[in-house]
Amino acid sequence: MNYKLTYLLLLGFFLMGSSFLPQEIGQTNPIIQLNSDLEFTAGDEIQLKFSSTSKTIPKLYVSNSYGSTVLSATIEEDALIYDLTGIMGNKSGIVNWSFIDSETELSGYFYIKPKATVKSLESYLGPPSIQAGGTDFAMMVIIPTDELDNPLQDSTLVTINNQFRVSEDSSEVPTRNFLAYKNIYSPERTGRILIGSESLGVTSKEFDLNVLASLPANFSISERRNHMYADGNQIVTLTTSEILDDFGNVVEDGTFVEFFISTINGGILKTSGATINGIATAQIIHPDQADEWTVKAFVKGMAESNSISFVFQQLFNDFEVSFSEDNRTIVVGPLKSFMDQLIPDGFDVDLAVFNGEEQIQTINKQTLSGEASFKLNPDIFPEGNYMIKIKTAGVEKIYKSRPLW
Amino acid sequence: MDRDKTNKYLIAAILLGLAFHGASIFFTLETTYDALIHLFFADHYANSWFEPWNFKWYTGFTVMSYPPLVHQAIAVLSLIGGLKFGLFTVALIGVLLFITGVYRFALLMTSNRTVAGYAACLAVFSSSFVETLHLFGQLPSIIGISVLMHALPEIYLWLKTGRYRYLITSLSLIAVTVTSHHVTPIFGMVFFIFPLIGMVIMDHSREGVKSMKEVTFKVFFRSFIQLFKRIVAFGFSSLIIIVGCILPYWINSKNNPITQVPIPHGSRDSFLEITSSGLVFFLIPWGVLLILLPYIFYRYFSKRYLFFGLSISLLFVLGTGGTTPIPRLLLGDTAFNILTLDRFTLWASIMSLPIFGEFAYRFVEGDLKSLIQKKFGRVYHRIIGGILAGLFIFMTIFTISLGYFRPSQPQKIKMLPIVNFMNQDQHDQWRYLTLGFGDQMAWLASQTGALSVDGNYHSARRLPELTTRPIERLENSKFKGVAGIGSLQQFLTTPEKYNLKYIFSNDKFYDPILYFCGWQRLRQLENGIMVWEKLNVPPLSSILPKEDVAKWQKLLWGIIPLLTVLIAFILNIQMIWLRTLRGKARDRVPYLNFQNSYIKFNRKLLRIGHLWTIIIVLITFYGLYLFYLKNDSQRSPENAVMAYYDALDFKEFEKAHSLVNPNRNMSIDQFMLEISVTDGLLSSYAKLDALETIITNKTDTLVTAKVNTDWITPLEKISKTDYVNLVKFKNKWYLEPEDVDLDLPPDQLYSDNSTNYFNQGRRRITTEQTHHEDILKQPVLEILTAKLVKFNGHYAIVGEVQNIDNVPADVVLKGSIYNDMDEELATYNAKYHVKHKLMPKEVSSFRINFEGIAWSDTKDSIPKTFNPDEFTPVTFESPPTKFNLQLAGNVTGSDLYKDIVLSDININSETLDGKLFNAGLEEITVPQLLVTYYDLNKNMIWVDHMFLEDGIRQQRQQYFSYPLVEINEFTIISDDMRNCFVNGLPNDDISNKVVPKRIENQTNDKLQNIDHPDFGFVKIEMNTYIGNPN
Repeated sequence: MNYKLTYLLLLGFFLMGSSFLPQEIGQTNPIIQLNSDLEFTAGDEIQLKFSSTSKTIPKLYVSNSYGSTVLSATIEEDALIYDLTGIMGNKSGIVNWSFIDSETELSGYFYIKPKATVKSLESYLGPPSIQAGGTDFAMMVIIPTDELDNPLQDSTLVTINNQFRVSEDSSEVPTRNFLAYKNIYSPERTGRILIGSESLGVTSKEFDLNVLASLPANFSISERRNHMYADGNQIVTLTTSEILDDFGNVVEDGTFVEFFISTINGGILKTSGATINGIATAQIIHPDQADEWTVKAFVKGMAESNSISFVFQQLFNDFEVSFSEDNRTIVVGPLKSFMDQLIPDGFDVDLAVFNGEEQIQTINKQTLSGEASFKLNPDIFPEGNYMIKIKTAGVEKIYKSRPLW
Repeated sequence: MDRDKTNKYLIAAILLGLAFHGASIFFTLETTYDALIHLFFADHYANSWFEPWNFKWYTGFTVMSYPPLVHQAIAVLSLIGGLKFGLFTVALIGVLLFITGVYRFALLMTSNRTVAGYAACLAVFSSSFVETLHLFGQLPSIIGISVLMHALPEIYLWLKTGRYRYLITSLSLIAVTVTSHHVTPIFGMVFFIFPLIGMVIMDHSREGVKSMKEVTFKVFFRSFIQLFKRIVAFGFSSLIIIVGCILPYWINSKNNPITQVPIPHGSRDSFLEITSSGLVFFLIPWGVLLILLPYIFYRYFSKRYLFFGLSISLLFVLGTGGTTPIPRLLLGDTAFNILTLDRFTLWASIMSLPIFGEFAYRFVEGDLKSLIQKKFGRVYHRIIGGILAGLFIFMTIFTISLGYFRPSQPQKIKMLPIVNFMNQDQHDQWRYLTLGFGDQMAWLASQTGALSVDGNYHSARRLPELTTRPIERLENSKFKGVAGIGSLQQFLTTPEKYNLKYIFSNDKFYDPILYFCGWQRLRQLENGIMVWEKLNVPPLSSILPKEDVAKWQKLLWGIIPLLTVLIAFILNIQMIWLRTLRGKARDRVPYLNFQNSYIKFNRKLLRIGHLWTIIIVLITFYGLYLFYLKNDSQRSPENAVMAYYDALDFKEFEKAHSLVNPNRNMSIDQFMLEISVTDGLLSSYAKLDALETIITNKTDTLVTAKVNTDWITPLEKISKTDYVNLVKFKNKWYLEPEDVDLDLPPDQLYSDNSTNYFNQGRRRITTEQTHHEDILKQPVLEILTAKLVKFNGHYAIVGEVQNIDNVPADVVLKGSIYNDMDEELATYNAKYHVKHKLMPKEVSSFRINFEGIAWSDTKDSIPKTFNPDEFTPVTFESPPTKFNLQLAGNVTGSDLYKDIVLSDININSETLDGKLFNAGLEEITVPQLLVTYYDLNKNMIWVDHMFLEDGIRQQRQQYFSYPLVEINEFTIISDDMRNCFVNGLPNDDISNKVVPKRIENQTNDKLQNIDHPDFGFVKIEMNTYIGNPN
């Protein structure tokens, strides 16, 4: 590696050395370059001097990374002087020149080097957040520039300081291709890394890099409820343990945890919660009939919980039904809850009417003071015999042939 | 009458007109349909006089699509006192030109200064003029017809005398007409100038013989031959003027022919069926003239005016629109569908004005007065006069205040907050769209420099998404049914195509569609306008494409119009103003030689007039009676049902309550409570589209009815059937109130914690680019699966996406499909079938439909009925075989409500029934189910969705019944995920780096098993729209 670099540098110097000299083509060329110094400093006076035997004063075409221009000469003591001081001379880099004159085919180039003092450090850090665990990293890039906004010459030393929790770290990086950079790998802990840099006595502003938690690891869940009855009213709260990532950090707030609830009938219910301080809480309403729930939570593709199960007990196994007004008014209830209290308002009661095998309509009503009342509309159910099924809390009562009139 | 005296009637008319219209335009003009559009054009000229290309509307259009004079005039005046000053000044000039124009036209026709003065006075209050100015705001049309009326005497004089000065003056006025309105001179040629030529020939013939009776066809033809040269000279030179003055307009029309689907216009309706159109386009413009129709026709079918008689008959018939098939036959289908036919009625009514003036003169001080007084007595004359004058003034007041009673525009919106918003923070580097602004969008457009995808001049629309639909603008798309919402939703789904980032919504109807297309609310401005924003839309490029035209066209367009005014002014000034106001001594103009005699009024005509009046009165009363029958809300059960649903639709709860059975003793408080607790797609965002009441059982006092209703919501069409009971009580029908939700939630007060996010944007106040350290990292997302499938004939990309970052993400999914030759066939974004906002680690299924531009191929088969869910699959020349999926994430802090729970499920063979429970603190307005289908091996094959009609209140459940989709045809075309990219980086790389140890198929045993022949399993996901976040 080092050898290679040395060779390359040597080759480079050789090439540069040979090409700083004007390339004379043909014998008749009347113009000879007089400058000895072929390297200037940005912002200084930059003059190219030529001796000329020609009577015409040729113009000089000059081009650098800023742009191109044509210079006219001033004559001092038989020498042609071309002055590039100013805007173009403030820009560091290679300047190519050539005479635009058919007689004088002379061209060459010289080098403007940046000033040796740093005015400011142009610095970039990205991305602004990384994931803990040592594989993710952010890159700090610093470009020391002089007062004319030229990047300083390579191998300028830049010190990059960073602080994380109790440790402070510092490293010296020489610029290469005008810039110095450092990859800052994430630590295993979450937190904030503060980064600053310094070069030739000039310091950069402060940067911050957030280290966020890595992927969650498996966790456990628990349930909490006020009673174990299937009253279709109270709320079950499902809570995770503090979810940590593989390195023991609490996962970031807002991490989405899905809870899948398998019921005894093969149904899959679903609720979800987003973590706060690692704990996700989800809620779901009690079922309205006896059931056994098996709950398992997932952070999809990354982590899962243990599986817990719990039972809901049936509130009642029978209920009263009364028919009145030509059997068209059907009152279900009063439905009673587990301590024989009236069931809270809004308990679902379904009534299905069949004409033979054909289901005509299902009416859903909610209880008020423990009772649900149905009215069968004579337009939908003309006079005749119907089968009526009433279902609530998973209990079904069937009236095979009820006359409506 | 002494010609050296000033005509006091004309002076009175001018003063009256300026006072009346000048005072009232300040209250009417800005709320008219067109005035603000003209203002927008004027703003364009004020800013770039010679550059016809306007970037502000329709992704760029040329103002050479409308004659420029009026706009340029407003623009010039705006330099003095602003755009609105210009607008009002030009309107006043229009009033002045109209009144003097009617005077000159009437004088030409009747050769009587008093009659002409009467006509001028009547013109001030003419209901058609009032309507055109104060309701429609058609300034160019008014100025065009006014100047044309000024041109008519000059044309007459040229034809009659052959003096070239009259040819020049008439041509100068025609030039002004054509530069202000292009349609006026073209049809004016047919309907005004042709009959005028006929009249000149008549007059010429009359001079050759002793009496009018001796004017035979032979004499007429001889005169025609004699005048032929002048007629042809006039015809050709005016043709040159008409073409030459607005040559760029004609070139533009030829290059960009109107290939758009016609936009429905009320003037093409059948006025008997759609009575509102009949009122606006027939009754109002004709007004009191309807009573005088026999007199008008009688007079115009006299020999001298014969050609005017033919013309006005034609105008009358054409103005009836779709009431009779004749206008369509006469004009042909194309012209019928492009032209707005109200202009014919306007011209007919203006043509009637001289005769109306004549009638007034004869009635007030002429032979008609003496005839009536002799026959019926003085009192009768006065009463009739009072009634006629009263009717006339009533029509004027009614017309001018129609905009007050039935506003055609939303409430006036303060534009300044929007203008400031667009100027702030480089918001004007994107295009914007307004919703529910009405024509005020033009006023906004002229105030802000920002660009809109929409526009208000439909002839200039360029995007095929717009031109293939019969909609004027996206802004009011809800009134345009399927075509409107369909067009809008394409813009909302793929806004990056148009650099559309901001939407200003003045109508909450559109909120759900904005949300489910992936837009988010930014904030409410102080004028109440909600700003919606879409993430991941690139800004406009600094150089936008335009269609350039030659420099000579630009110069012509910029110079000629005002030059025509200048020339006409110089040529005519002394003739119009001085002659009419001061009466300069000069040769007696030839048309004054043809005085009518007002000595003996035709008795038969008076009788016919009376008869006609009686017929009109009978028709009016019958119409009112029908109107009463239809609108008396409690006369019949049908009316009661209709009125009740209408009241609910328009949120007139007091009226709805008054229709509920009073015996129930339900207080309005209770009623309001019960109605207002139900939020949701149906109760908050639906518009009643159709209502059908079927009475199923009826006794004298009791009715049960089945009510079928169709509701338009921004998301889909909802059909509902309700069973309603009605009772009759004190001869009025009432509805029985409905059941209410009785559910009692368990907690009175409860709490919930959630993580909220706030993005500072720029931490430092600066107009410069955001500091790079303030630019957030795009959240890392991962495409878990993606496949190109063909399902029942539709091509779609389905799959799953996960937010694998630690911050919430807004998700934009863009899919492209390619054929075997790697040619891109279509590109589209995920619309409803994805959760657009994902919490960290959250997963969403998605589906990208490939929608074509609806009906672009089948223009004639646009469905008549509304269906916002209408889907137009793209037709492909070669079948797609591979796909490319670009997923972009952006940090978002809004719409992250996830507290919706699937709390119950029952699996049937055809439906999934279940309940959703709202566990959080916000009321869910529109819950959405995303159902992912899997085959028996748990391979994902399809994604479907359903919106629930009703919202879910806090801690309550909502029942749903989701019909499983049927499968006819299904193939997975490609599941090659090599061309899946996240934020521009390959999906695999991201996946391997961020989640190297992903647990595959982790939740597969939590898929819901279903009993279905084709599908083995489904997965149900929930998405929520919160209409009113706390």
